[in-house]
Order: sequence, then structure tokens, then C-alpha cells
Amino acid sequence: MRRRGAAVTELEPEGARPLSVCCEGVSFRYDEGATTIAALRGVDLTFAPGASVALLGPTGSGKSTLLQLLRGLLVPDEGRVLLDGLAAGEGDVEERRRRMGLVFQMPEMQLFAATCRDDVAFGPRQLGWSDGAVDEAATSALAAVGLPADRFGARHPYSLSGGEQRRLALAGVLAMRPGLLLLDEPFVSLDPASRRDLEAILRDLRTGGMGLVLATHDVDRAYALCESRVVLDEGVVVDAGPWRFGAGGEDVLLAHRLKPPFVVELWRRLGRGAAEAPPQLTAAAEALA
Amino acid sequence: MAGRGGVAVAVGGDGTCPGGGAAMRMAIAQYYARPSPIHRLDPRCKVVAVTALVVGLFLRSSFAALAVYGLAAAAGLLLSGVPLGWVARGLRPVVWLLVLTFVVQLVFAPGPAFYSLGPLHLSMRGLAIAGYLSLRLVVLVVASLLLTLTTPPIALTDALAWLSRPLRRLRVPTEELALMVTIALRFIPTLMQEIDTIMKAQRARGASFSRGGPLRRARALVPVLVPLFVLSFRRADELALAMEARCYLPGAPRTRLHPLQAHRRDAVVLVAVAALVVLAELI
Repeated sequence: MRRRGAAVTELEPEGARPLSVCCEGVSFRYDEGATTIAALRGVDLTFAPGASVALLGPTGSGKSTLLQLLRGLLVPDEGRVLLDGLAAGEGDVEERRRRMGLVFQMPEMQLFAATCRDDVAFGPRQLGWSDGAVDEAATSALAAVGLPADRFGARHPYSLSGGEQRRLALAGVLAMRPGLLLLDEPFVSLDPASRRDLEAILRDLRTGGMGLVLATHDVDRAYALCESRVVLDEGVVVDAGPWRFGAGGEDVLLAHRLKPPFVVELWRRLGRGAAEAPPQLTAAAEALA
Repeated sequence: MAGRGGVAVAVGGDGTCPGGGAAMRMAIAQYYARPSPIHRLDPRCKVVAVTALVVGLFLRSSFAALAVYGLAAAAGLLLSGVPLGWVARGLRPVVWLLVLTFVVQLVFAPGPAFYSLGPLHLSMRGLAIAGYLSLRLVVLVVASLLLTLTTPPIALTDALAWLSRPLRRLRVPTEELALMVTIALRFIPTLMQEIDTIMKAQRARGASFSRGGPLRRARALVPVLVPLFVLSFRRADELALAMEARCYLPGAPRTRLHPLQAHRRDAVVLVAVAALVVLAELI
């Protein structure tokens, strides 16, 4: 916020620009007093601008740590994270970092303001945008998550349902106009309808060109939303690339305490080849009908 | 309750809780788990013994008495096998107090000066007083560290609850107070973890906790404190319900999984401490 001084420069939000993120030999350890826990070891990954990537891995495999490293909330012990080819401290890397929106696990626990609109406006205000820009960003973010400002803007965040609170927290991140959205288990502890709502919102964001990095145990939704996936286990990247069809399929997921997406498994059991891989469940149903 | 320096274990009795930031953990990480004769003593005995030593320390001002108590504390430390580094860390918060005590006493004590620098006169008497007071503070802190380093916080509250039982006659709800302290201790690592997560989340939304003056910084904490309080109240509610569901009744007589049990060694220690205090008073 730059409110003091004569030369007040009020920043205007830029449009969401996609950005590329690259991990080079990233390692990270948690220091637990007497012991250290290696959360990530030698991770090399590239997230292309506008791509959507699922981070899959059993609990404790390092998914959340990786997201926080990408966002710059944690600093790698070894290796580096490059944003559009820029390392920490180089050029306008901080500004680029800002263009990554991180939605934490159970993000509704970060809601604090007295009204939904104020909570969503918190991020833009911290960025020092003009009042008009803050207002517009909050309104459009609320609309994007299906909580129109005229109905929900003045309500207290804690008067919303669990699913609505989750979407409100997402709006708080979207209001900052990210070009890449990092999501940590966004579907966890929601009822099926809320999950569907959230999936639809994320799909709309995808259509609008937003990049996604989606850490989740929900492989079916990961498959529906992401073109490729990264499999993590015990802090190591086990496999990375597009979904695998054909022989073996997604058996790598089974080998690491996960399961293949339903459609992938269905396709394989039906003996369909890799060439006609279905984009989604609906497309699979159409193809079978 | 095993494990070397098992901090989360020591504080919370909850091995799965990873605790909060490293700095926060330091401040709470006081219990050093290890098998030793001192660790094995009944916590009540340790509380009484350390209290007696500390009171004795202030009853008589002489270097001889100080030496007796100092040696007793050192012997206890040696027996407990707690690394000196942990003791040094415990002394760190009082370093400035020590320096201040020493300097003030040295400069302002009366007596013939052996060295003068402008208006400052340093006397042998001042040196003696400064040295005595500083050493006494060190012995005092080491003796209390000996208690907290070798006793899990929950055993400590159990001991204090038992020792304050006479207060029940005055209708002081000692058991309930002890349970409150135990629960509070149990949730410190959980709260630290939550503060850490919420601060990270708000930082990702552009919040800064180190910018601006004190007022601005205080205001920057609102987005952390509001969710923290909401979560804590919710958890307190759930914990209360869970305790009721498991038939907790305030004021009802309670049994313990690990009843406090005094042994002969506790009696030996108490007699030895009593003898030390008498000795220190006499010499």
C-alpha cells in the first residue's frame, strides 16, 4: 500500500499474464529440532505458460512444499526456482511471483474480514491498487466463483456454507489477477455438489487461459482439469508428462499408493488404444454411446 | 514419551504434531527426554527440592552458602546428563539481566576504590557484591532449569496439582486448573503450526508482517488473529463435546493412567536437600 507521501502512485492491475515456472535441482528440508525431514530431493520440473499440471502423490510426498516453493513462500535449500527464466532477486521476479495465486489447503481458514467483499479486496489493496480497481477486481472475482457481489458482497464470510467459503477464499486469490493458479487439495472435505461447482469454476478459468498446478488426491478431477501430471513420492519426482494410455496405463499411480483415473482405467479395460484417448468422462460416454 | 529431544512429544504428548516455526519451538522446547536418575524422580519431589534450594539461596547471603547450592545444582545437572548446550540456551534469556546486575552493582557499590575512571569508582566490595549477585542468579536459573529440563510439562502440572491439593479446602478447583494448563500446553504446538500456515496464506495474498511502524504491524496481524481465534474457539467447542462424550465431569474424582508414585529415592533426595539447606545456613 502506498498511501503516504505527496507522490502517490496508485498502481493499476495488469491483465493476467501467464508465466513459466522452472525448478532446477530443488531440494528442501524441514528442520524438526533434532531431526531434519527431506521434503523434496532434486526436483527438476518445468511448468509451461498456461499449462495445467496435476501434482499427484500420497500424503507426505511433498506436494504442498513444492507449491509453497513455487510461490516463493519457502526458499529451497538447494537448487532454484526460475520464473520466466529469472531466479530469486533478479529483475522483476517479485512482481512475477505476485502473479502466482496460491490457494492453500482449507483456505477458508484464512478468511478474516467482516464482509465477503472486504475479504476478497484484501489482496488487491495490499498491492496498492486504486479504490476503483480494487472494487472492480473484487466484483469480478466474486462473480467468477459464483458468489455475485450484489447478493454476497455484504454478507459475513462465516455465514456462508463450507463450499461457499472455499469459493470465497478462491475469489480472494483470483482478485489479485494471477496468471498461474496453484491449488493445494482444493476439493478436500467438500460435498459432491460443492466439488462439482468448484471443478466447473476451475474449468472456466482454464478456458480463460489460466495456468493451473493442482495438487490433489482426486485423480478423476485432476484428469478432467489437467493435460499432464507429475507423480511425487517421498520428495522425488517419480514420473512427469502427459497422462499415459496404452500398455501399462497409469500403473505408476498404483505403485505409489494412488489410483489411475476412472476413465483411463475404463479405456484400458475396454481395450481401446492410446490413439483414441478420451479427453474426459463426458467424451468417453459419448464415444461409447 | 521417549525420544531424544522429542519436543512435540514433550510439549504435547502428541507425536504426530510437527510443531510451529523453529524459533517458537526453541522457546517451548524445555524438556530434554533421557533416562537418568534425576528424570526418574517423582515430579513432586523435584518441585519441592528445587523450591527448597531456591528459598535457601535467598535466606542466607554468603559465598559459602552459594557454593553449597551451586555444587548441588551442578551435581544434579551432571546426574541428569542434559547437555550443557541446553542449559546455556536456557540461560540466554537472562544474559542481559546478568550483565546489568553485574555492572550496576560494580559501579554503584560503596567502598574504597581500587580503580577510578572519571566519576566511576570500582571497589573490591562492589566487585564482591556484583559477583555474588550474578552467581546467585546463575545458580537460581540453573536450579529451575534442572526442574523443567528433566520433567515433562504434563508431569509438572500433575505435581503442582497434587501439591496444591490443600487449596481444595478453600474451594479452589485445583484439578480443573491443572487440566486447563495441561490442555493449553498440549495445544501450543498446534497453534504454532496454525499461525505458521495462516501467515503464509496471508503473505501469499500480499500481506506483510514486517513493514511499517508498530501500529501498522499490529494491524497487519488482524488477518492472522481473526482466523486463529475462530479456529481455536471451534476446536475448544469440539474438545469440550468430545470430553463430555467420554464422560468428563468437572470436579469428579479422577484416576490417572500414570499415577504419581513416590519411591525411597525421592525421600533420600528430600532428606539430602534438607541437609544441604541446613548446612548452608550454618556455615
